[in-house]
Amino acid sequence: MGNARPTVIGVDNSPSMKKLLERSTENLDIDLTVFASAAEAWSYLQSNIPDLLILNIIMPIKDGLSLLNEIRQLPNHRQTQVIIVSSKDYAQDRILAKELGALEFIAKPMPMSTITDVVVKYTHADLKNDNN
Amino acid sequence: MSKSQLRFWGVRGSYAAPFASHLGVGGNTSCVEIRSGDHLLVCDAGTGIIPLGNELIKQDKIREMLVILTHYHWDHVCGLPFFVPAFLPDWKINFFGPGEDPRVMEQNISSQMQAPYFPVGTETWLAEINYLDPKVDSFEYGPMKIDFSNVHHPGITYGYKIEVNGKTVIYASDNECMFIEKAIQHRANELNKEELELFNEMIHEEHQSELNFFRNADILIHDAQYTPEDYNKKHGWGHSCYIDTINTAIGANVKELYLFHHDPNYDDAAMEAILKHSNEIIKEKGASLICHIAKEGMVIDI
Repeated sequence: MGNARPTVIGVDNSPSMKKLLERSTENLDIDLTVFASAAEAWSYLQSNIPDLLILNIIMPIKDGLSLLNEIRQLPNHRQTQVIIVSSKDYAQDRILAKELGALEFIAKPMPMSTITDVVVKYTHADLKNDNN
Repeated sequence: MSKSQLRFWGVRGSYAAPFASHLGVGGNTSCVEIRSGDHLLVCDAGTGIIPLGNELIKQDKIREMLVILTHYHWDHVCGLPFFVPAFLPDWKINFFGPGEDPRVMEQNISSQMQAPYFPVGTETWLAEINYLDPKVDSFEYGPMKIDFSNVHHPGITYGYKIEVNGKTVIYASDNECMFIEKAIQHRANELNKEELELFNEMIHEEHQSELNFFRNADILIHDAQYTPEDYNKKHGWGHSCYIDTINTAIGANVKELYLFHHDPNYDDAAMEAILKHSNEIIKEKGASLICHIAKEGMVIDI
């Protein structure tokens, strides 16, 4: 008997960023899924609430901040924990992310430990044991 | 096919530069007209849209237009309060730009025309004003097909790809190209070998994504605001060094590049020096790119 594993969703069209998110969290007892577009993530988020959502900003078709704005219109996502991870390290984007309730704004590039630490901080995830 | 032309009405970035030393290139801020037959498309509404408006009211064949905005920084919208066609009841002006819905677009455009900053609001616009649905992937305006993509600039900012008369024109007035590459160079000592490898892959991905949007364009109008010296101080301000712009255009096999969004501090002599150096770079690389400095009043047949 135990608590369900935290669910972490990443949204980033970069295959390398997907690898980085996977490597950063491979020792954590979480369920990580990375979507490559805002549209794929939107389909999932219609009926699921992750413990943590990690969003890139610049993506084809729809950017991460526009997606976040739409997510916040959904009643069950008003309090969803969101982290922005983006190369767009501009004050205007940081302000907009904060206005949309993002908890942190991490500028790429960053060490993998930054991702590990922020996932643990907001999901209280445990380290995987040998049986996982 | 209809006759199509492009005309530069404003080529400066940040703020207007109406100085005697700048008149050869021009001092108005961003505004580019693309006309195909009777269809009038205007990219951005900086101060350059003011003289465009004054020309438009002298003719009576065209009474409708589409204004596509890359973003709402004031150098790209500050001409609208003085754009005469908006105040005339026999005109129809359509707007498209970043925003969740047409109301957000309307709010972003009308906010600059509010007290105490301006004596009248957009309620004084007697033209029929339409804010198009921003939630589209692409759209058409007469014979022109328009796509857009997010670019690297503060806030939600678009670059536009316009297909007209079998040619592709890309308007990316504000974009800091090769941004992540420079960010990684600045922070390389914080990253281990594996992290550097992953981020180098990311540079390649981001670069390819950028090149793919610009690829094979007949005309690329792109941010080239800074010299290398100024870019060293202003990395992260959302604008490109002209050298990066040229390298990106070459990588994307662009045919003609118009360096755009010129820094208001650069006078005509400085702009000529930039063009000279740009052509030296292109020659050194053996590229076929044709490079121009975008100048007010320049007209290009498409």
